[in-house]
Amino acid sequence: METNTNVMSRYITGLLVTVSLLTGCLGIRPYPNTMDKNLHIQTKTDSGSFFSKVRAAVDIYRVDADCKTKYEGTIQLNEPSVDVGIPSHRLSYLVFVFSSSSFLASSNSTVTHDTLLKPSAGYNYDIKVSYIDDIYNVVIRETHPRKPGSRDIELKDLSACGGF
Amino acid sequence: MKRLIILTVVLFTMLLSGCAIHHPQTAEEFRKAVPGAFMGKVETLEVNRPFSDVAKTFQKKAPECLNVTVKTTSQTRMSYQVIVTTYKPTVLVAAEKAELHVQFHHEAGVLNVSKEPEGGYYLLVADAYPINKNTTRVDLYRPSMGHDVLIKAIKGWASGENVGCPDLTKS
Repeated sequence: METNTNVMSRYITGLLVTVSLLTGCLGIRPYPNTMDKNLHIQTKTDSGSFFSKVRAAVDIYRVDADCKTKYEGTIQLNEPSVDVGIPSHRLSYLVFVFSSSSFLASSNSTVTHDTLLKPSAGYNYDIKVSYIDDIYNVVIRETHPRKPGSRDIELKDLSACGGF
Repeated sequence: MKRLIILTVVLFTMLLSGCAIHHPQTAEEFRKAVPGAFMGKVETLEVNRPFSDVAKTFQKKAPECLNVTVKTTSQTRMSYQVIVTTYKPTVLVAAEKAELHVQFHHEAGVLNVSKEPEGGYYLLVADAYPINKNTTRVDLYRPSMGHDVLIKAIKGWASGENVGCPDLTKS
């Protein structure tokens, strides 16, 4: 018969394992998001099925002069709108992650869409992220609060880093 | 569902290859093989969009969305299967025709039964032709079962109504 101490010990161990799996051990950590907010991310997700769901997130990486990336953290795109701050005049690498899970088939899948982005100081970047009925899209539009007009930013993957 | 799709691809592959003897080695061979294949289908649609716009969308979206490697796993009590598939898009644009070829190559998990063309087996070919200034015809040579997401995405690119990427993990 197990003692209360043993039961408590198992409970604490289980809790620690769960917490560590959810944070450090998986390598996923929240992006600090302490800088001035220059990215306005609007997200729409709809799996198209009652038996499955889709979650979106964006992994943010710093990119150095040699085009090497360093993971800075992840922002969960659970809300319809999220503001994020990334450094201006410096290259960042954004990886949008769409994770689907099906309850009936007990299956999971992940698809990513990535781009390099070098924000200009004073500009805002409206990012529309969608995953609807198995079709996903990321559109980035650059605007300035006091200048007319806007422009779409072409998505460029990491192989284009040398051209920035 | 995934098993049905895998079975479809295998059957489609075998039927196109004439009982696993020969598989289309070029896009032109694929176009000729699809109409007579049991699980092949030729679909034609007209979109109210200039040909140059359709061609530009193919050129922009195909490399962005279809240059991917997809890993799918399926597990039952008795089995565990991992399939790794690499897709390869090719877009060719001329004055009066734009072609989008989609090929796939199984990196792991599937045994090839016929000679594989360079770049992988042909999965789909879309040919766009100008009809007039604002109308374009698109001929799709495609499987009649499975790969609905890919087909839906390419139709969206042609019409311009949805230029998102297909989640090929669902194919």
